[in-house]
Amino acid sequence: MNGRIQAFRRRTARLPVSVIIFSTILALIVILAILAPYIAPFDPNKQALLARLKPPGFAYRGDTFWLGTDDLGRDLLTRTLYGAGVSLGVAVLSVVVSSLVGVSLGMLAGWFRGWTETIIMRIVDIVMSIPAILLAVLTVAVLGPGFLKLVLVLGLTRWPRYTRVAYAQTLQVANLPFIKASELSGAGAARILFHHILPNIAGPILVVATAEFGLMILMESGLSFLGLGIQPPSASWGSIMSIGRQYIERAWWIVLVPGACLFLLVFSVNVLGDWLRDQLDPRSRSR
Amino acid sequence: MLQYVAQRLLQAIIAIFGVLTIVFVVMHLSGDPTLLLVPQDASAEMIAQLRSQLGFDRPIGVQYLDYLGGLAHLDFGDSIVQRVPALDIVLSRLPYTIQLAAGALVVAIGLGIPAGILMATNRGGMIARILSAVVVTGQSVPTFLSGILLIFIFGVTLRWLPTSGSGSLAAMIMPSIALGALSMSTFARMTRISIIDELGKDYVRAGRARGLSMAQVVVRHVLRNASIPVITIAALEIGNLLAGAVIIETVFAWPGIGQLAIQSIQSRDFLVVQVIVLLISFVYVLTSVLADLVYVAVDPRIRLVR
Amino acid sequence: MKAALALIAASALALVASAASAQTKDTLTIDLPNDAATLDPHLQWNTDSYSIYRNIFDNLITRDVSGTIVPQIATSWKYLDDTTIEFKIRDDVTFQDGSKLTAEDVAFSIKRIIDPALKSPQLSQFDQIKSAEVVDPVTVKVTTKSAYPALLAQLVKLSIVPKAYVEKVGNQEFNQKPMGSGPYKLTEWKKGIETDLEAYGSYWRGKPPFQKVVFRAVPDVSTRIADLKTGKADLIRDVPPDQAASIKDGDGTQLLSGATERVGYLYINAEAGPTKDVRVRQAIAYAIDKQGLVDALLEGYGAAVNVVGAEPVFGYTDKVAGYDYDPEKAKALLKEAGAEGAKLEFLTSPSYSRALVEAMQQMLNDVGFSVDIASSDQATFLKRRQGDAANAGSLAFGAWSCACQDADGIIFPLFRSGSIWAKYKNDKYDALVDEARSILDETKRKELYAQAYEILRQDVPGLGLYQSYALYGAAKHLKWEPTANEALFVMDMSWQQ
Repeated sequence: MNGRIQAFRRRTARLPVSVIIFSTILALIVILAILAPYIAPFDPNKQALLARLKPPGFAYRGDTFWLGTDDLGRDLLTRTLYGAGVSLGVAVLSVVVSSLVGVSLGMLAGWFRGWTETIIMRIVDIVMSIPAILLAVLTVAVLGPGFLKLVLVLGLTRWPRYTRVAYAQTLQVANLPFIKASELSGAGAARILFHHILPNIAGPILVVATAEFGLMILMESGLSFLGLGIQPPSASWGSIMSIGRQYIERAWWIVLVPGACLFLLVFSVNVLGDWLRDQLDPRSRSR
Repeated sequence: MLQYVAQRLLQAIIAIFGVLTIVFVVMHLSGDPTLLLVPQDASAEMIAQLRSQLGFDRPIGVQYLDYLGGLAHLDFGDSIVQRVPALDIVLSRLPYTIQLAAGALVVAIGLGIPAGILMATNRGGMIARILSAVVVTGQSVPTFLSGILLIFIFGVTLRWLPTSGSGSLAAMIMPSIALGALSMSTFARMTRISIIDELGKDYVRAGRARGLSMAQVVVRHVLRNASIPVITIAALEIGNLLAGAVIIETVFAWPGIGQLAIQSIQSRDFLVVQVIVLLISFVYVLTSVLADLVYVAVDPRIRLVR
Repeated sequence: MKAALALIAASALALVASAASAQTKDTLTIDLPNDAATLDPHLQWNTDSYSIYRNIFDNLITRDVSGTIVPQIATSWKYLDDTTIEFKIRDDVTFQDGSKLTAEDVAFSIKRIIDPALKSPQLSQFDQIKSAEVVDPVTVKVTTKSAYPALLAQLVKLSIVPKAYVEKVGNQEFNQKPMGSGPYKLTEWKKGIETDLEAYGSYWRGKPPFQKVVFRAVPDVSTRIADLKTGKADLIRDVPPDQAASIKDGDGTQLLSGATERVGYLYINAEAGPTKDVRVRQAIAYAIDKQGLVDALLEGYGAAVNVVGAEPVFGYTDKVAGYDYDPEKAKALLKEAGAEGAKLEFLTSPSYSRALVEAMQQMLNDVGFSVDIASSDQATFLKRRQGDAANAGSLAFGAWSCACQDADGIIFPLFRSGSIWAKYKNDKYDALVDEARSILDETKRKELYAQAYEILRQDVPGLGLYQSYALYGAAKHLKWEPTANEALFVMDMSWQQ
């Protein structure tokens, strides 16, 4: 394990320019999202029905809407800033939920084998074959809509992906000599799983998590499009775009602003995820 | 081995049953279609009467057993909304989704694999960087947005392609691109990684030492070896495509089972939803079983049970 | 491999592609949000199915442009007594297979829809009918369980189906291959995609204006608008007010609009929650700027109303004062009721204008309420809204039309206690609307409704917001006058010369 981390540290000393740029962008987005309530010029829910669908730079009664207004006259800049927090929050929380559940179950299945493995992997089959959209509609129908329910839905549909990876990796790692040595020296299952197996399977899991992060953001916007996402009047980038769809001709900024931000965010995460995978995957080392 | 296969198949059947039951229960928990069927001036008694006529006032256990009984004779029931057999409705719309998935795969593979090859052989160069950017872009745009942008640009403004519908090959272009963009990235990256893998192997150096050009080595040997993991990915991507099809079909008025699923869920047309879920879970569980069998055959260590 | 896949795709498409890919002037194309659920007129009650099948079938009676009930298959009718009415029908109507339409078919249609075995969702609209008998080939006698003035308004919705054909092919087949006496016959029904109709040359009213009519199912509104702009569709319905200007000014497109009987209204729960107090409800009424909503969100395509009703509706009265926009009064009332900061739950679903709901939420928050929007899908929304008062939220927005242009179709189901929609009980009100529905004297009915509206004004179990203007996008050369009941009768459309 130490060898791997040392190799990682050696390689990060020579970071390519793109990684620096995109991690900065990502950090910037996160900081802006956290600071939104302090730096946003307006109340995100303050409507101005007489100033609907106005272009960026529009001034009305002494206020300037730097990025324009939406279909209820609310400031787009403000809503985009607040929306960053919502979209990031949904993505981070659902990745955390699904990875915690998924990895734990995967490790348990890969380590204990037998009935544990059978039951867990069959549940994985079951959950993966229920279409995500169906699960989303039904969860909302039964439990009602809302931010946390959305996180629950996304978490519920995605955990099996982590399980499959964790399971396969655990199977491979479990047979390595040093693991057997630990077992023989009397270490309990919990200790082995958390201290020895988890760090060794962390690489591929991290790669899945970064890919999933981008996907969660896209899925949130897709669910908002279908009316199942964030409750109005809260904004997420997905829900702002889903409304802005109808105004592409008349008020294209409503789609463009959150769309560009969403694109930047997912792009950055994907670039970093790619780089991360290249670093952690010994096969793709450059010659 | 045979015992393992039999066990796996049995588990697969149980899994499919599990899906059916869960979906059945959750759907019934969320209500029934009666309220959506009646005119707005219906009285509470009328609604209760219709509910009773349609059988939704029976205890859920009874309804479930009834449904299973029908399944035993391969009777999937009639759609409450359309009053025709649910299976017929799903089967009539299935070819459209398959066409769309095929079109999306063509886009994903046709663009993704060459991109991956170039990214691998041109590693670190300008072309690779640009392609990387394009590939990641395909993964970073929500499908409903790319869909509506495509319609607006190529349909309304340029008038090159039809804005909706499924009546012609031209109508298939935009939905396939919108749907395939996401998978294209996966194929590109997978191809790139496998080729890079292969390029590091001895036979490549041997080939170059014998005087073959890089292109010749790639075409003659590398591509063939690199294709194995790519084929595995293709099978998994089909599942992802079916999921993404839901939004694309709605935006482009493409009459596949994605659109049907959404409409049936929203109108609580239970039996149609059950057929769709059954179909998807069957396909999925089957691929899962096959994947496991391949895995066990390939890596003997896995068979050892602790 | 790519070529092989493309070839397979192309041949598969050829198998399913529509033969008529070239839309000529002979064909009228209409984009609807959904395909028909069933084309059997007695098996469902939804707008999209109705828009299509109403061109395949005739009804016994119908409404003209001003909303008056006029003959269609029936030529005249007279009441023999309070519970019996006799219809005389036309002699010159044939079904699309050439067979003659007689009183047998009319009686059969009525009996079919009230037969519990058919499980028609429309049963509740006709359940007051006891029986229908054939007197002679052009006369039908209909009996109701008790005096029922709304009978004619309900019969406007009954389509006449061919007895012989239905009995021959059975209900299932009739649903797949319907046949009626209307101006258009079905040539092909590609379920979920489009419905192709062809003119029926021997239609009794005259030559249908278009040779072919195609109804396409296009779920997304932006896509429907794109279709209209590129000429793929000649007519679309429910244009969002914000897109109206772009269609009005577009090349080759025009905006058709007309005032309707549809009323945008706000439901207020009078039986549970903070809104149980009538002062709170009145505060809500004063807090909403109706004209502001119409001007800003409806782009002027609407008219603020004083009651839950509009001018085309029989029983509507302009004598009852509405609630003016007065936020100060609202705040005062809230203070008086001790309900400042009251938490209200605003139920809604994607079927209702999100912008209107959010705008009203803001208006209410501005006077001191704390409104939470609870959005779910339509099925769940209906379940809550139509269920127990305690779980039916505090507010909901709707746009109600009974397609009957009668106050009985609006304020009876919405506010009469015992109805699934009413979270309100006022015995005096119940007595008024019960009586109004059971007598035939028009003057007396109007008087009763005026009193009923006055009670609604005092109790505010709901607030009338605006009369809705229907907005249609059409090809520039389509000639058509939209009606107040939002019917889509192709017979009334034509190409401009």
